[in-house]
This record gives sequence, structure tokens and C-alpha cells, in this order.
Amino acid sequence: MTSHTHGLRTWLLQRFSGVYLAVYLVYVIASAMRQGSYSYAEWHTWLVHPVMSIATAGFILAMLAHGWVGMRDVILDYVHGLGVRLLLLTLIALTLVACGLWALRVLLLAAG
Amino acid sequence: MSSQPPAPVFLNLFRIRFPVAAVTSIAHRISGVLLFLFFPFLVWLLDLSLQGPDSYARALALLQPAWVRLGLALIAWSLLHHLLSGIRFLLIDIDVGVSLRASRRSAWIINIVGILLGLACLGWLF
Repeated sequence: MTSHTHGLRTWLLQRFSGVYLAVYLVYVIASAMRQGSYSYAEWHTWLVHPVMSIATAGFILAMLAHGWVGMRDVILDYVHGLGVRLLLLTLIALTLVACGLWALRVLLLAAG
Repeated sequence: MSSQPPAPVFLNLFRIRFPVAAVTSIAHRISGVLLFLFFPFLVWLLDLSLQGPDSYARALALLQPAWVRLGLALIAWSLLHHLLSGIRFLLIDIDVGVSLRASRRSAWIINIVGILLGLACLGWLF
């Protein structure tokens, strides 16, 4: 990838992850509204179903990409000191990676 | 150059008028930042909720205090506004609703529907 296409790639990543997040969320909100309330067993069964479990892992990955590009754009627009920028971007990246790994671990443990 | 009047400095925040689409756009950013900040708590709740019936009950109990439910209503608004305005941006990307009239109308609808749905969640949570 040359630097010319780099911005386009990021822009596309934000759109594709956004579409995935939207589809997943609309499905989850619709299911939750249909179900009303969940007992622990119902909640667990619903989430560990292979399709739902994998779709949720996809949600986490899409969330990492989408959150990174979005937060990076916000920081680059409003924070101008180089040091503060680097600090915030590092904290954001660490937060996203840590949350992502944690969530994937939770999904794996629940499925196993 | 010296005959040109100085550029007006106009920083009264109560009198600067934003176009409605700018409000939708800045709210998209603010809601996105709020959703990012909520992400660790979401994962924490997911973790608690899947560790067993007792842990699940504890996760639900964590959501009971009034200030937590107020926060959840704010997150619900963030999610719904971000989702709706995100879909609007995607449609504008593929040339749907680009005209000034259409984009102003969709911006108004999303700002208002977002707040109404957020209030509906607030009502449902209390």
C-alpha cells in the first residue's frame, strides 16, 4: 500500500466495520426486544451458540477497528501537542487491545 | 489590504449558529467517544454475566442504582444516535440524500429521533 491509498484503506475499514457493527446490533436489539428478559440459562445458551459466538467475536474485532479509526480521527482533529497525542493514542490502542483480548477470552471460556 | 475591515471575532457560543448537519456530525463524534469509554464496562459486564447464575445476578444488580441507569440511558442515546447517523453517512457516501434539502431533513430527523429513543430508554429503565 502506498501512502496515497492508505487514507482510502482506513476510510473503507471504517465503513465496512460500521456496516458489520450496525447489522449485528440491529439483530441483537431486535432479539432482546422479542425475548424481553433472559434467565441466566437462556442468556448463556443464546450467546454460546456457535453462530452467535462467532458473530460476537466478529463484533469485538469490528469494534476494535472501528473504535481505533474513530478515536484516532478525533484525537488528530482536536489534540495538537505531539506528546499528548502519542500518549492518548497509546492509551486508546492499549484499551482496545486489552478489551478485545479480554472479550475473546470470555467468549472462548463460555463456549468451552 | 489596510482598507479591508478586520475579520469579525465572534465567539459568543450562545449566538454561533450551527447548521443542523453539523450538530448531527458533532453528536456522532461525541457519542462515538462515549461508546469507546463504555466498551471496557461492556466487556466487564459480559464477563460477569457468563460466569454462572450468581455472577449473572451480580451483573444485573450492578445495573440497579439510579446513577448507573442514567448512564445507561446516555449510552443508549449514544448507541442509537451513532447507529442512525452512521447509516446516514453511509447513504450519503453512496450518493443517497446528498442534496441540501434531503441532508438537512435527515439530519433533523436523526437528531430528534435519537433523543426521543434515548428518552424512551430512560423511561423504560426507570
